[in-house]
Amino acid sequence: MSLELTQLTEQIQAMGTTVAGHCRQLADQVALAHSWLRQYAHEGASLRPVAAGFHAAIPTDEPLDATYPLPSPPAHYTVIAADGSQIQPDRHGAALYYLINIGSVVYRHGSGQAPQVASQPTLGYVNTDLYEDGLLVSGNLLDVRRDLAEVTRLADLCADEPPGMTVALVDGTLLLWVLEERPPDWRAAKIQMYLAQMERIRASGAALAAFASRPRRAEVTRLLHLANMGGELDQARRTPNPLEHLPDRMVFEALLPPGSRSALFVSPARSNREGYEEAGHSVHFCYLNLAPAGRPPVVARIEVPAWVADDPATLALVHAVVVEQARVVGDYPYALARADEMAFVSTSERNALEEMIIASLWRAGVRPAYSPKKYYKTLTRQGKRRYRG
Amino acid sequence: MSNGDLRVGRVLRVSTRGFVIGCEVMRPEIPAFGSFVQAEGVAPGSLIYGLIYDVSIDDDLFARQFVVANPPEEVVLDQRENRQVPIEVSVLAIGCREGGHIRHNLPLQPPVTLDWLYQCDPQEVYAFTSHFGYFRLILEAREVPADELLAASLRAAAAVRPPSERRPFLVAAGRELARLLSGDPVRLEGVLSRLGVSD
Repeated sequence: MSLELTQLTEQIQAMGTTVAGHCRQLADQVALAHSWLRQYAHEGASLRPVAAGFHAAIPTDEPLDATYPLPSPPAHYTVIAADGSQIQPDRHGAALYYLINIGSVVYRHGSGQAPQVASQPTLGYVNTDLYEDGLLVSGNLLDVRRDLAEVTRLADLCADEPPGMTVALVDGTLLLWVLEERPPDWRAAKIQMYLAQMERIRASGAALAAFASRPRRAEVTRLLHLANMGGELDQARRTPNPLEHLPDRMVFEALLPPGSRSALFVSPARSNREGYEEAGHSVHFCYLNLAPAGRPPVVARIEVPAWVADDPATLALVHAVVVEQARVVGDYPYALARADEMAFVSTSERNALEEMIIASLWRAGVRPAYSPKKYYKTLTRQGKRRYRG
Repeated sequence: MSNGDLRVGRVLRVSTRGFVIGCEVMRPEIPAFGSFVQAEGVAPGSLIYGLIYDVSIDDDLFARQFVVANPPEEVVLDQRENRQVPIEVSVLAIGCREGGHIRHNLPLQPPVTLDWLYQCDPQEVYAFTSHFGYFRLILEAREVPADELLAASLRAAAAVRPPSERRPFLVAAGRELARLLSGDPVRLEGVLSRLGVSD
């Protein structure tokens, strides 16, 4: 064992004290946020033009402090979820390759049928797979490929469903995150590929939503600070924000009755304004209390494209279905939990894949070998022991 | 041999004495206690024969959540039919086929991880059980319910024979058991009574 836990004792105790103090400070911040939410509830129209400039949530026509009760879910509906995982290329491994595994679930509520589950693994191993724009496809480049594969799988499955009463779910966000350091044309091209799949989902007649568990974004709280500065950008930037680092989620935990959603806002992300909006997919979001009556609040962030946000019936369908799905498990949509499970690649599966690849290389007459660094790590990291003589 | 309809599952863990395979779904006929199964050996054309002696489903934290939650019917079906926690099936090795000949001894090498395990078809069960040399491997296996397993496998072997051959087959098996268990009459009586040939 190399981690000297005894050396961390004092730091851990200090951490506990600090976190406790932070919790008391958060309670004060939440109280302030609530008072501002009520005070500026109807200032949305005046804040709308300036909010994005402060990277704050952009208000819609709904009052900032509005809450909307849980609609009745339909007796029959379909939830389609897709999620992905990946194995990064390992330059120290026996061979250079990456894996993307997409798990998907088609859950037909009220059908009395077992859901359709699937996982689709894809191996990238030729140079045209492994390199893009001169860079090895790893890190964010691979994340982008996985996100595109997820939304493409979702669009494929939606295309097979009859229109209406279908909700397509992804985990996290609808905003494709592409590193800012990538060339603008390259970023724009990737976002357009993502938007093309969103368009296919829209054309299929399904609704689309992203579900974020325990979100930490602080966009509504930034909006409240901006509102308190009278919508003056310069003043808001110069003045310390008393709600700094307060996640929106904490503001809505005490505000949203069980099953209710908050007002809708528009994401201030640059990609939302530059790509999504002009394609008609502007990402809106709200917060949703998934907990049933009598239970502590569990607030998630839900993102939907403009064509869902602007249609009250479709938005109500997403609202009802997400809450009902989450309550199957407790606080996370069942279909997403299963899609994640279908996508997950365990350590033993990863090792089995590596063994299969090594065997395949041997059969093809190639003698694969780990790098010296990896070889010695495999020796030193298995069953580490300390001599305590 | 590799009839896809007769697949039981893939090999998870192996030893010369037996192996454990995983399958996703319990079907009416497989995996069943006492069934004859086979996996490909490492040598080309070789087969390893075995008997299923245990079927188990591990505890699963995700499924545990639904035990008291009254979940929708679709969730129950999903947990039963689609879940990723495999049903584990333990197999006792009882013979092998090498060079076209069936031998009632332990295989020289076990099957390979993730190889498919198949249920034997009736012709293979008939051929394998035309001699009783594998009885000793079962009776001496301490990790399995040997007497129940032997009786169940003999009933399965009798079932693949024409009706006129079934009783003579069981009587012949009983005679072989009487020879092998001559020093343990209590155990012999127990096995024969399970076979229904003790009278």
